[in-house]
Amino acid sequence: MREVRFHRALYRGESVDEAMKVYARFAKLTPVEEDDHWVVRVEGSSEAGERRIADEMANYALGLTIQRRTE
Amino acid sequence: MQLIDLRNDLDRSLPAFFRHRRIGDGRTLLTSAEGNWVVLDDAEFRAFATGAVERDGALWRRLDEGNFLRETWDEAAAREAIAARKRFLGYGPNLHVMVVTLRCNETCVYCHASRADMDATHTDMTPEIAEKSVDLAFQSTSPGITIEFQGGEPLVRFDLVKHIVEYARAKNETAGKTLEFTMVTNLSLMTDEKLEYLLDHRVQICTSIDGPKEVHDKQRKLPMLSSYDAATEWIKTINQAYVDRGLDPALYHVEALLTTTKAALARPEEIVDTYLELGCRALFLRPLDPFGFAGKTAKVVEYPRREYLDFYRRATDYVLELNRQGEQMIERYAAIFLMKILKGEDPNFLDIRSPAGAGIGQLAYSYDGQVYTCDEGRMLAAQGDDTFRLGSVQESRYRDIVGHPTVRAMVIASNLDSQPDCVDCTYNPYCGIQTTHNYKTQGSIFGRMRESNICAVHKGIQDYLFNKLADGEPHVLEAFDRWTTVRSREHFLHRP
Amino acid sequence: MSSIEGIPEDLARVDLADKRAILDLDASLYPVEAVYSATYVFIDRCYVLLDRPEAGTLRIVITPKQLDDAESQLRDVVGELANELVSAAWRHQITQENRAKIESVTMQAISGAMGPPTLDDLEDFDFTDEAFEDPLGIAMSWEEKYAKKTEDGEEE
Repeated sequence: MREVRFHRALYRGESVDEAMKVYARFAKLTPVEEDDHWVVRVEGSSEAGERRIADEMANYALGLTIQRRTE
Repeated sequence: MQLIDLRNDLDRSLPAFFRHRRIGDGRTLLTSAEGNWVVLDDAEFRAFATGAVERDGALWRRLDEGNFLRETWDEAAAREAIAARKRFLGYGPNLHVMVVTLRCNETCVYCHASRADMDATHTDMTPEIAEKSVDLAFQSTSPGITIEFQGGEPLVRFDLVKHIVEYARAKNETAGKTLEFTMVTNLSLMTDEKLEYLLDHRVQICTSIDGPKEVHDKQRKLPMLSSYDAATEWIKTINQAYVDRGLDPALYHVEALLTTTKAALARPEEIVDTYLELGCRALFLRPLDPFGFAGKTAKVVEYPRREYLDFYRRATDYVLELNRQGEQMIERYAAIFLMKILKGEDPNFLDIRSPAGAGIGQLAYSYDGQVYTCDEGRMLAAQGDDTFRLGSVQESRYRDIVGHPTVRAMVIASNLDSQPDCVDCTYNPYCGIQTTHNYKTQGSIFGRMRESNICAVHKGIQDYLFNKLADGEPHVLEAFDRWTTVRSREHFLHRP
Repeated sequence: MSSIEGIPEDLARVDLADKRAILDLDASLYPVEAVYSATYVFIDRCYVLLDRPEAGTLRIVITPKQLDDAESQLRDVVGELANELVSAAWRHQITQENRAKIESVTMQAISGAMGPPTLDDLEDFDFTDEAFEDPLGIAMSWEEKYAKKTEDGEEE
């Protein structure tokens, strides 16, 4: 299991949600709310797979956050 | 180069706004916001920066003439000069690059046209797309438009070239623009019949000559012939044809362009002589760009930019020497900058202006009807990246194309007053950024100028030119004056 | 974790096992907009995660997608990212200082290129939106402006 921690001040919640929706079909994704972070737990079939999905999802969330900053 | 330390003595009451750059030992160049300039020696620069210029003395008068003194600063003159330099902002794309086919019979080691083989007829433009492209071009707010035929090799589909020329001329009867045509061709498929049409319909002809035959043939390959022989035979024929038609050969001749590869760097004088022998009086010493094949063949053809600048200085020195001997030759890169430096006018070379011309000064129309900000944008799309696609002639409206968010982003990114380094650079009034080059080499349209090859080239060329101006040799100043005296080539202009 | 030659370890370090680099930035020097701008340039070839480990510090964790020589490549990525961050931070400042000039030139450039709308453009224009404020009620009809209202506030 791997965790991705998205700081609330740096990532938009909707962007994290949308990233989770896109990658949910590749692994089991469990959201956990903390005071400062949205945390997504990634459970996949292998450690390498979990890492890949976590990284891709992080990029996706960052990209969406940046693109939507002026909306 | 020795620096002068003035940190403790700076005066803020004498100088008006200025930027400065050390261009040589004992030489500091000042430029103003509106593009005036003066070169000062160390004592003069110290006096200026520390507020110690003798009132009404020779240095005071020079600085006053350039609007560098706060006390006499002429805001109206500055505003007028800036407006004159930015006149191109008042109207839309004047250059419309039409890629009538990707098919090409020549293989060039640095080609950025994304060429296709001669049997790839699916990469030909249809007459319908050609007409829609012309329709879109005529909606430009520019009072003059130039349709530039490119490829591949446009002579492969000469019928389409003719169709576009005739369709555009007919349309212009009511549109009333100043219309021009140019064709960029390797000339190997030219015939007497095609040439007669091009001459009768006043289409300007541009080709490539990469240097002496062995250099040219090595990097521009035809299946059976020497590409150099094919091109040069036609250059001579075409240049003679202009003379036979009573046109001044100094103004009317085939425009030949150089793409400077590694093979050319050691042979600047030979390259200039090659152009002179062909009667090509204008030389454009372009460095290699990273698009297309040049990206893949970089190990063979690329070079550090300081080597290119050495080549540039040697070649241009030689061109100036030939001018001194009475031969009229012009180096176009220099002429573009000199027009801005000496005449306060912008020649509207789209890659060297702020903001750049992508989308607002030019559009590129692919064979399939897709429209791009520029030819480099089209080429990136051919490699799978359609970041610079704006729409299509089949579906998009003109205003949606030039008002596209990508165009807006490129306008902002190429505005030198928004760009680190450029904002403070002494060459800010004269320079320009190519956003597609930034994107290709550095990952974003903004780029980092301190690491940019184009910035290094532009600074190097302008350093060279300002040192020449400061040297003040009469034959050089006369040549620069000729290079910046615009003689209109009326013959190529189509008006209703 | 190991340091990168030439860079203080509290600013940047590499994790060779995980094949990633970590940069900790002073948030007062690098506005978050500049960090977004700089890191976005890398997301085609790297994975990027941002964090705030403590107040005043912004962390970038960057992992190249393809790695042949981990140490050398990570060093190059850190160097390039550092340069992009400086450029972005400075550009952020310049844009704020020169905002009026940049907006003016952009507007001139785009409006000069676009020109006035054609009849086809106007046909598609949505005139139902409130396009402007109307404090004097000039755009209101007589009935709207002067209709008497009932005790319930409805117009007669």
